[in-house]
Amino acid sequence: MSKPIVKIDNLVKKYDGKKVVKGISFEVKAGEIFGILGPNGAGKTTTLEMIETLRPIDGGTASLNGIDVASSPDEIKTLIGVQPQTPSFEEKTKLTELIEFFASTYGEKVDPKKFLDDLQLLDKANSYVENLSGGQRQRFSIAAALVHGPKVFFLDEPTTGLDPQARRNLWDLIREVRDRGVTVIMTTHYMDEAELLCDRVAVMDEGEIVALDTPKNLIKALLKKGFKKEQQVEQANLEDVFIDLTGKALRD
Amino acid sequence: MDRLKRELLPVKTFVKIDVRRLFRDKTAVFFVFIFPLIFLAIFGSIFSGNNGVSFRVAVLNESKSDFSTQFVKQVQENEVFKVDKELTSLDLAKEKMNRGQLDATIILPESFGNVGSGNYPTGEAKILYDQSNEQAGRTLGSVMEGVFKDINDKVVPPSPEPFVVKTESTATKGLTQFDYTFSGILGFTLLSLGIFGPTTVFPRLKQRGVLRRYHTTTLKVWQYFTGNVISNAIIGLLALVIMFVAAVVMFDLSMRGSYFNLAIVVMTGTILLFGIGLALGGWAKNENQAAPLAQLVTLPMMFLSGVFFPTFLMPEVLQSITKFIPLTPIIDASRLVITEGATLIELAPQFAVMLSWTVIVYLIAFKVFRWE
Repeated sequence: MSKPIVKIDNLVKKYDGKKVVKGISFEVKAGEIFGILGPNGAGKTTTLEMIETLRPIDGGTASLNGIDVASSPDEIKTLIGVQPQTPSFEEKTKLTELIEFFASTYGEKVDPKKFLDDLQLLDKANSYVENLSGGQRQRFSIAAALVHGPKVFFLDEPTTGLDPQARRNLWDLIREVRDRGVTVIMTTHYMDEAELLCDRVAVMDEGEIVALDTPKNLIKALLKKGFKKEQQVEQANLEDVFIDLTGKALRD
Repeated sequence: MDRLKRELLPVKTFVKIDVRRLFRDKTAVFFVFIFPLIFLAIFGSIFSGNNGVSFRVAVLNESKSDFSTQFVKQVQENEVFKVDKELTSLDLAKEKMNRGQLDATIILPESFGNVGSGNYPTGEAKILYDQSNEQAGRTLGSVMEGVFKDINDKVVPPSPEPFVVKTESTATKGLTQFDYTFSGILGFTLLSLGIFGPTTVFPRLKQRGVLRRYHTTTLKVWQYFTGNVISNAIIGLLALVIMFVAAVVMFDLSMRGSYFNLAIVVMTGTILLFGIGLALGGWAKNENQAAPLAQLVTLPMMFLSGVFFPTFLMPEVLQSITKFIPLTPIIDASRLVITEGATLIELAPQFAVMLSWTVIVYLIAFKVFRWE
């Protein structure tokens, strides 16, 4: 793996004088999928939002591609793309118009038709987002967040509330983004997701990073401590059964 | 220059999309373009011309002079009066007035129309009205005074009178009540467009996370505001054009001023009122917060700014306040353009109030705006 593109050093966030992110430090390498795991309230989203310039940083520094987040938020914003938890767009707006508008917010002009062609959504160019199927909407939303060619892509709990088919579709899309050379940083509280998708994960709890490594190494380390699952691991789980029964095709 | 072009690109793109978007939304089209027309039709039919106003009167002619017979005939032919011809006794007339079936009784006494010392007929007509119907009685009094003045001028050769009061309307003759009412309806439309629009739309966009997503881009608040203001001003102007055409075609609205001046007034007003909506909707986190606020701001404006009834009917204390309410100068200025052909320079006081409010409102809007 290559050089770090994101450097977080002793990052702090306080709400009403109480620290919710307690001086965390980590680095994300260019081209990897980096996961931030943790239970609800661990500080995952807050950490992400500080790096995304959406929340003021109360202590420490964050830098992207060598640019300081706190002092040059606009430069940072052109370097990143953000996929919100529940992507939603203004209604009664054509896909071409949304692409045109998102590009314009970065002061850029794109050819929306060509853009949609690349997504295999050209035949939907004049549709509204609300009329797309679930899978098309995911694809469109991610593409719209990458319209300006950012270097780092953030996803905050992207699969929360999705059915198994939609989750798998999204994983594929995220891998595609990574394969295009974009670094991906995502939060999740699904361990299977992190294990399958992420190159490295940071586990957060109560505002602190309690572990950071590849999923494999983390599991190895646990086993080394003599950990044993009480139950015998099955060769398949219920989700495998579900996917086998219902197929991988996306549903709406 | 290049930088400016880049900075204005999202504004331009937003305006283009936002105006199109409105026409795709049937509910919005109804509220912006159709609803004002319904409003216009209702108010228009109430206020169009003086033709609708008539008084139910009884004429009791106790005189036998030619002049009085002639006079009664004239009254019967006059459109303002609906003469109850069956009424012949004063007692019956009083009873009917008491029951509200009659507005007033005109009594021509025995001596009415007798030729007097000056070689021309004289007389005093008495108008009787019920206490509960004072306004009709008074109005009728002035109508009759006018009628008599015409007769007097015909009968008596005009002689120089030592003291006269000459009243002259600032507006030229021929304006109907509707011409005045129109500005109120216009103001009401701009108010609902400017305030109810953004106070419903912005909180909804926030709740759905749309604005949050915009916030992750390099889109600036001023760019988003400017885009919204321009698209809203365009839509406001379109709504005005439609209302205006309808008013001219249906209710014979007479326009005395320049269309350009009216457009300037409407644009300024739209921008000001939209600023209020933007401040409320930009601050509110959700619709539950925004809706009551919007009511709280619009209701007093509607009642104190002369939308429903003229401000000069209000107590003086209120009148001095009402001038400084944002909606008042908008209605006043458009009324002055429509009915008196006021120029932009003559409208300086109204513009001063509008522009001061605009500055205040947008400063607040910028300060309190939240993307989520």
